[in-house]
Amino acid sequence: MHHVLPISAQYSVLYTGMWVTSTIEVEMDSMAAGAKQRQFSFLGKKSKDRSKNITFALFVTPGLILYSIFLVLPVVMGVYYSVTDWNGISRRFNIVGIKNYRSIFRDSRFSNAVLFNLKYTVLLTVCVVVLGIALALLLNKRVKGITGFRAMYFFPAVLSALSVTLIFGQIFYRVLPQIGSKLNIGFLQKSLLSSKTTAPYGVLLVNVWQGVALPTILFLAGLQTIPDELYEAAEIDGANAWARFRHITLPFLVPIISIVLVLTAKSGLMVFEYVHSLTDGGPGGATESISLLIYRHAFVENKFAYSIAEAMVAGLIIAAISAIQISISNRMKVY
Amino acid sequence: MSIAVTYALLIIGALTIVLPLYMTAIIPFKTVAENTASYFALPSRFNLDNFRTVLAGGRFFRALANTAYITAFVLLGNAILMPMLSYPIARSMHQSPFYRFVYYFILISIFIPFQVKMMPLVKLLSSLRMMHPTGLSILYIASSIGESVFLYVGYMQSLPEELEAAAYIDGANTFQVYTRIVVPLVKPMMATALIRNGLWIWNDFLLPLIILNRSWTYWTLTLFQYNFRTEYSIDYSLTFAALVMSMIPIMLFYVFAQKHIVSGLTSGALKG
Repeated sequence: MHHVLPISAQYSVLYTGMWVTSTIEVEMDSMAAGAKQRQFSFLGKKSKDRSKNITFALFVTPGLILYSIFLVLPVVMGVYYSVTDWNGISRRFNIVGIKNYRSIFRDSRFSNAVLFNLKYTVLLTVCVVVLGIALALLLNKRVKGITGFRAMYFFPAVLSALSVTLIFGQIFYRVLPQIGSKLNIGFLQKSLLSSKTTAPYGVLLVNVWQGVALPTILFLAGLQTIPDELYEAAEIDGANAWARFRHITLPFLVPIISIVLVLTAKSGLMVFEYVHSLTDGGPGGATESISLLIYRHAFVENKFAYSIAEAMVAGLIIAAISAIQISISNRMKVY
Repeated sequence: MSIAVTYALLIIGALTIVLPLYMTAIIPFKTVAENTASYFALPSRFNLDNFRTVLAGGRFFRALANTAYITAFVLLGNAILMPMLSYPIARSMHQSPFYRFVYYFILISIFIPFQVKMMPLVKLLSSLRMMHPTGLSILYIASSIGESVFLYVGYMQSLPEELEAAAYIDGANTFQVYTRIVVPLVKPMMATALIRNGLWIWNDFLLPLIILNRSWTYWTLTLFQYNFRTEYSIDYSLTFAALVMSMIPIMLFYVFAQKHIVSGLTSGALKG
């Protein structure tokens, strides 16, 4: 409403036309309504308003219908299926109450998957934020050919995760062992993905290789908004490189760090393609993420209702983490 | 940091990106035996047999056409529907409890993880007979509502209302104000939203896997790659030919539109 006042004086003469139709309305609306309602009209304000309301209603209808069918309805259906014993195929099934939910909390496979996701997400966000800022600082140097390097560094972001996993699957299973045996390096001769302890790091490496590209470009765009004078002044005051980074660079990057944290955490908590294609959850369940577990229960192991109950619990965990993160990052933005 | 150190670091980083891609590009030109000898040696001759096998049967071009169709369908639908849905919300949410409710009701969907909807969506789409590329496209449009409304509403609220007010004074109706004033002004945000959605949909794997994997005539490029690998898992020279072919369209797009992709993605995120 704040922007209404200065102009309303200029246009106040136009209200006289509307006074004829309804005096009281104009008095109230000239205070409250937005600038858009100021118009000269023989139809009167009320019918103009109605035509606008109708247009607005028509504008939002298709979107709201799509939203109700493909977002609200599936969630409602999910809640319903999660209290049944449906296997996803048979015609008949029974309502079993919270039995599925109870079994989830006794299922070590589920808690392992949650633990895997939590550890994976923490490592992924730390790697992406630290490496992303480091690469952005590097790409912000004004040296010859830097635009070419920037284009190269961003390229992994436009590939599909599936393509990237096919490439790195080959590297892990065939190329690195070949190099390892040629150079006689022991730990390279076996695939990183074939051992329980190293497989999660192998998946993480591939995810970071691709996942750091977009954050790097965002950080770089943030660095370019920092005025040079700030660094020059700090240098004159005798601030060293770390102090300049800590007190000038970092505060400017805070809003972008918060965006990157939310985006990366969400991708880590929902990781599917990387594990599905690189390890399929193996070896021995060491890389079985929540998404993969739900997918397998639903489509491979015919535990349809159970998988939906798992999705509900996982959904609550992920939504809670996102909400906490966003409220923290909103607070970060203040200073 | 001296210039030499800067270049050294830049080149190390570039190599970690280029070497895997270089290896990917030359594997299909060599036989498996040649590859086993060395993955990084250049091929002895320019052997196109693997690419011929990939292209035989028309599955690749069908997948390319399906992917292009789905992406175009979704981007067109998004460009039309999302600003339309967002405009009334942006202009009325401070006065109207209804639009305020609609706004927050839509934003909730950003926090609902995909897994929650995944299984019911398969059931829903199969009962609506929508397990085909057009059905998937409609699902994509719906799935992007949360993020799109968030981006557009924020952007529209930052636009001054005076221009719209002036158009109303000149006798324009709401629809004309929207198409002639609002749409041209939201074009920068539209570019951001379309690039984000375009990359997501072109590269998506999970939704095509659960919705379209029944018949090869429905495959997208990611499904084509995936199924090709499953079918010819032993002959990886051949699998990599399929992989390289599937990467070519997006690489070409990147080479020609790199500047626009980067500026589109960054401007949206910095405002949002």
